[in-house]
Amino acid sequence: MARGDAEFVEFATAASARLVHAAFLMTGNHHQAEDAAQTALVRTYASWSRVRNGDAYGYARSVLVNHLVDAWRRPIREYPTEDLPEPHGGDVADEVATRRWLLAILGTLTARERAVVVLRHYFDLPEAQVARELDVSVGTVKSTGSRALEKLRSAGLTAPEPQGTRR
Amino acid sequence: MNEVDELRRAMRAAERADRNGPDLAVIMREGRRVRRRRRVAGTGAVAVAVAAVVIGVGGTVARSRAPEPPLPAPVATAPVVAPTATADPAPTELRPRPVGAVVGSGIRYGADERVFYVVPVDVPELPGVTIGLAAGRRSPAGELTTDYLVNDVAGSDRRPGFHQIGYDPQARVPSAVPVPTFGYFVGPAARIVGTVDGRHVEARLARWSEDPRLVIFWFDPGVLAPGEPLDGIVARDARGRRL
Repeated sequence: MARGDAEFVEFATAASARLVHAAFLMTGNHHQAEDAAQTALVRTYASWSRVRNGDAYGYARSVLVNHLVDAWRRPIREYPTEDLPEPHGGDVADEVATRRWLLAILGTLTARERAVVVLRHYFDLPEAQVARELDVSVGTVKSTGSRALEKLRSAGLTAPEPQGTRR
Repeated sequence: MNEVDELRRAMRAAERADRNGPDLAVIMREGRRVRRRRRVAGTGAVAVAVAAVVIGVGGTVARSRAPEPPLPAPVATAPVVAPTATADPAPTELRPRPVGAVVGSGIRYGADERVFYVVPVDVPELPGVTIGLAAGRRSPAGELTTDYLVNDVAGSDRRPGFHQIGYDPQARVPSAVPVPTFGYFVGPAARIVGTVDGRHVEARLARWSEDPRLVIFWFDPGVLAPGEPLDGIVARDARGRRL
């Protein structure tokens, strides 16, 4: 395997899970999330020679969120079933409750608002970086983020008290 | 813990193990295809290959080279550009061949007018997709130049509802001929309204002469800047009911 390919394999293996989860937070659908993460990795690999020495993760993340923000105008690919959350340790009931609550409140947001929330608060990016990755102004990031938080508050941005050992 | 911290914690708590990991073989194979397409487009030959779409032009169905399979989520846009002497075997006749009436928008670029028209397309493996919608320019002499073409990449082009919407992200770069956001809806739409940053923007509508169920719409640049992504779009019938 060429050196660049080996580097990409290492990168994709490390980045995939977070990209899938970010896409899941934006779509609420595991199948769509996996498709979107794969699309982001395909495009990152296609540009690997250009991005490998820069911010490859930022490039993949930017492709992912913009792909999802624009996704509403593509025909919706429908899946017959939504798979159930798969536990990986911890308290299953807490995880399921948290995930449902999270998807419910995120579901009140527009695609762009979700993108800002995920980039700011899941990836912990500064506003200027979010603006670059979404190709909008910092002012738009601020106003969109503020509007999103307001909506999340209205939707009940206070997580359900866990029954188990989370706190 | 404040509410933003709570949100962060919840988003991380909702993570789950990536059960299968990425399918690297598929990703790298598709990535190589994307690279090849970019090279082809970069030759200035015919950029239609970017969308796994083969456009029927000049009265023939242009299958002069093996079609590439679509990407996982292909964007079905196919800017038609003039062929150069270099080449890649490709269709030599690129004059648009509209089906039905050409719809004028009233949007002007000097003497030219922005127009929309339906053209025949041939999408490999998709017999239900036979038409696409083009945004072009009409000169005073009546000649058409296609700037942007959209068509479905799955199912049927007459399925009720919205179909592929033409949105030109390149229009964010200043251009002499920015393409307004446009598309078509199948059904009894009397109004089509988009949302951007909490603002409602109304599309202009025209029914296709060959099938009145097909409603062509576009957003005037003064209402929605070309290239500005919409957050949502809805169609309503004459009674205001959402379709």
